[in-house]
Amino acid sequence: MSQPLQPNPAHPDETDRLMGRRNFLRSAAAFAGLGALAASLSPLRELSDYSSIDEFMQKYYKEMTPDDMARAIKRIEGEVQRQYGIRPHVRDLRPMDGVEFVYCLNLTRCIGCRKCVHACVAENNQSRNPEIQYIRVLKLPHGSMDVDKADHLYNPPAVPEKGYFYMPVQCQQCHNPPCVKVCPVHATWQEKDGITVIDYDWCIGCRYCEAACPYWARRFNFTKPDIPKERLNPNMAYLGNRPRKQGVMEKCHFCIQRTRVGRYPACLEVCPVGARKFGNILDPESEVSYILREKRIFIQLKEEMGTNPRFFYYFEK
Amino acid sequence: MSSGQNRPTEKSLRRTNWVLFGVTCGFVVLALAMLANPWKATAQARIPLVDPSFLDETASRKSYADLVREKADLSDYQCYVCHEQKNPPPLRYDDQHVLVVPDEHGDIKMGHGTHNRNNLCYNCHNEGNLLTFSTRDGNELQFAESSKLCGSCHGPNYRDWEAGVHGRMNGYWNHNLGEFRRLDCVNCHNPHVPKIPARQPAPPPHPLRLPYSGEPQATPAPTP
Repeated sequence: MSQPLQPNPAHPDETDRLMGRRNFLRSAAAFAGLGALAASLSPLRELSDYSSIDEFMQKYYKEMTPDDMARAIKRIEGEVQRQYGIRPHVRDLRPMDGVEFVYCLNLTRCIGCRKCVHACVAENNQSRNPEIQYIRVLKLPHGSMDVDKADHLYNPPAVPEKGYFYMPVQCQQCHNPPCVKVCPVHATWQEKDGITVIDYDWCIGCRYCEAACPYWARRFNFTKPDIPKERLNPNMAYLGNRPRKQGVMEKCHFCIQRTRVGRYPACLEVCPVGARKFGNILDPESEVSYILREKRIFIQLKEEMGTNPRFFYYFEK
Repeated sequence: MSSGQNRPTEKSLRRTNWVLFGVTCGFVVLALAMLANPWKATAQARIPLVDPSFLDETASRKSYADLVREKADLSDYQCYVCHEQKNPPPLRYDDQHVLVVPDEHGDIKMGHGTHNRNNLCYNCHNEGNLLTFSTRDGNELQFAESSKLCGSCHGPNYRDWEAGVHGRMNGYWNHNLGEFRRLDCVNCHNPHVPKIPARQPAPPPHPLRLPYSGEPQATPAPTP
């Protein structure tokens, strides 16, 4: 302590009053310190019911034992039920043997109605607000495949419009996926049936994969996804359509929760013109094998990138 | 320097306290304002949910087989309630040799093929028995077999359809694991006007420009 003020013998209380400023500063500093501490802890308020010790301690997908997976699925089901009031059916579906998926899309048939976009959103529990959509339908003038000339916000009273064709673009499930190469934590990888998947609990949200993808197929959850309770799809897969969190990537996974039990993807089943074809390329009897055998003109989008997509665009006649 | 000069006067102390009090009040007000956050962005209008009709997976039309399956009203297919069994209805043409559809069948618009070349009823309907179809080479087919009738002319498309490649398939891609359904030609095509009609597109993605107007965006002009 530096030299205190002279006490005034006539008014002993005066000393305390004179000390006022110092006391004030001291308590103000204490308050400020407490405030700063509270402010620094305030992000914890965001830790809503979507976080738990189990989630924090959860292992990497490929290192999980069946017990770990059972526990993780139970946790996810509980969290979804707490948040949406619906008990989902979450499964960990593994690739089938002797199956490699290929998608073919007939550009002659596609009329650009965008039903696939919204069927995908409904099936895969994507955020409605802000919107996350895996499929982007590009409208291109006839005679060009230049995506720089594309318009994806078209909204005429009726489609198709004269002089244009429509090209829906989604994850191309490349043989040589650039997104997998750049992931610093191996949270995304290619499975043996050709689907590139994401472990949403392992993703750190660095968005490198979004930058690496030449097809703009990956989407980032900038906010907590907003899914209306009545539109939640309770048929979920761990690597598929279980609800995501803020700060993780997501993308088309060929509807793992459907295709790995043998069903067609949602975008295909809603197409009013049958432009979308999906199947097992290793089966010579499948529709996609027939298309690749019988049809003539195929386009792998941005072929020159060397990604070798499992998604083929083709023309009729 | 005398100690008297060092010592704060009663007046200056009071002033100091008032200043500190004022500063405190200022901070308290700021802290409250931070909590209430009156300058936060006004909430944007929510993006409306897509109309469930865009999620509908059912086929756009019903085939005769569908109607039989659903035990629906088949009275429209009882041709001989109006027509006579032994007396097939004659076809009438205008001076351009375009078929004149009688008023009783006013709901039928003829538009199969271009240049009115394929607009004759008996190209598909059986003149001798209106309850069946007949192909150009004389095979008689039931109403429920309409896809075969289409295939009698549209060979390549029929071949693709049989392989599951023309038209939509629903259900299981892996036929060992579950049911699949191949739609009939008439589930999508109106046989009298087979071209699939233009339809309203589902809403476009939110353009992330504020305020969202929902106006159609300028599109590049089609190349001639």
